Amino acid sequence: MTRRDDQRTGAVRLAATFLRVGVMNEVQYRINFFIQLVQSLLTIATGLTALALVFSHTDELGGWTKPQLLAVMGVFTMVGGLIRTVIQPNMQRVVEDVREGRLDFALTKPADAQVLVSVRDVRFWQLTDVIVGLVVLIVALVQIGDSVSARDLAVFIGVLLVGLVTIYCFWLMLASASFWLIRMNEVQELFDGIYRAGQYPVGIYPGWLKYGLTFLVPLAFAITVPSEAVTGRLTWQAVAVAGATTVGMIVFSRWFWRRGLRRYDGASA
Amino acid sequence: MPTEPVVVVEQLGKVFQVPVREPGLRASLKSLLHRETRAVVAVDAVSFRIEPGEVVGFLGPNGAGKTTTLKMLAGLLHPTSGNCSVLGHEPKGRPAALLRQITLVMGNRNQLQWDLPALDSFELNRAIYRIPRADFLRLRDELIELLELQTLVDKPVRNLSLGERMKVEIAGSLLHQPKVLFLDEPTIGLDITMQKRIRSFVADYNKRYGATVMLTSHYMADVQALCKRVIVIHHGRILFDGALASLAERFSLDKTVTVRLADGEEIKVNAPRGEIAAATGKLLAENDVVDLTIEDAPIEDVIERLFESEPAK
Repeated sequence: MTRRDDQRTGAVRLAATFLRVGVMNEVQYRINFFIQLVQSLLTIATGLTALALVFSHTDELGGWTKPQLLAVMGVFTMVGGLIRTVIQPNMQRVVEDVREGRLDFALTKPADAQVLVSVRDVRFWQLTDVIVGLVVLIVALVQIGDSVSARDLAVFIGVLLVGLVTIYCFWLMLASASFWLIRMNEVQELFDGIYRAGQYPVGIYPGWLKYGLTFLVPLAFAITVPSEAVTGRLTWQAVAVAGATTVGMIVFSRWFWRRGLRRYDGASA
Repeated sequence: MPTEPVVVVEQLGKVFQVPVREPGLRASLKSLLHRETRAVVAVDAVSFRIEPGEVVGFLGPNGAGKTTTLKMLAGLLHPTSGNCSVLGHEPKGRPAALLRQITLVMGNRNQLQWDLPALDSFELNRAIYRIPRADFLRLRDELIELLELQTLVDKPVRNLSLGERMKVEIAGSLLHQPKVLFLDEPTIGLDITMQKRIRSFVADYNKRYGATVMLTSHYMADVQALCKRVIVIHHGRILFDGALASLAERFSLDKTVTVRLADGEEIKVNAPRGEIAAATGKLLAENDVVDLTIEDAPIEDVIERLFESEPAK
């Protein structure tokens, strides 16, 4: 096994251990499951009400029918849940650790620092959003009526994962910015605010916003593209753009993170 | 058999660029456009060597450069000048081969997962350091025994007291059997009993495993209990490097007499040990004293004196 392979399996094993321990621990706090479930249901109810309101005036929105938009809402809720389960808690902790000087501990470990800070926390019960979102998605697909083939499903899962990676990269860049800015308390609210835009397909927004939500904050790849995959609207061009952007973001975010670390090496007292 | 020193530090220096800003709104706005920085020398051309198995005390007041030096040795800060090496590795760039053999404990910060029982955090450390299971279990149970953690390790860390947390923290940072321990103020904020407990553990650990220990503290008692050798650092420079005994001989002989008078006024007098009886007698004879204490001069004063005794370069 080459050193690089070894590093990669090391990263996977590390992530698996943290995930296992985190889940074991969270499962003890069962009351959180119910609190989160109620919250998920409330959020989806608000979303559905808004959607009903839109469709009381029109039959379609930017070329998307009502059940198709319902599918988008399902994916939006699922992806939001996944972000809050594994991405957001870890990245917020980086911001806190930088501010409070606790990042030192992650850096004195013989593991890749980026991997280590990305797997330390898991908010297991946020997965209620994934369940609720999945139910909404299934309902939407039943309403659309076209059968979803195994191939569609595989593509859906594939582009969903790619989309999550882009969101992770985006969050990593946000978190890395804290090496320069130090005070980034509101960054989560900022992200949540922008994320809300993802409950509609980005195609319905005006040009500048559409590009912003695609390449600046990559909601298009995380939500719209997977939604297209299960509603028969996906083009191969979109997949290619998503793939290329993801590779670019992985490289760039890692570079940015390392630059931030170098600054930390030089400046922290 | 000749052995290589574990830590080699040569002319090591660290300068921080600190933003300066006058108070007030106008100055704040000005600094938005043009940021002025000032160079602060935290560590200034420091050199020393530490041999395997040594326990060295790094002594100095707050802001003396102790932690900065330690952080450079642990690879967390890059030196601005000079060199250092630990176990033959340059810490800059944090090579995994080095990180596997060292550990860093900071008294005022904790690294165990806050909401998890320590046992789970230990498990995570096992994954990070890739410790073989058998070794891990043996050492874990040994540390639990030595530090008397039996009733503590299955509670979430947040439910532990400060001292308990520190003990658990130390156990967690030793699971990979590091050859070099960097302990930054490990007893800060702890009560006397717990301080003693931790000191005696570090001493035992050093004997048992032959690990090299570098300990910073501003408690003289820590250093007295643990270290044969001390390095005194002040304003980023080494003022003293040698046997603890000779430091005490030269500088710690002062005692402070504090008397409280009937009218509530307090008088403090510093005097060398030999003259303390005379000084106290004089104080008692000349004043209407209601209370009297005699204590060793605080370490800050001792170091201040040490600093004054060395002409500034």
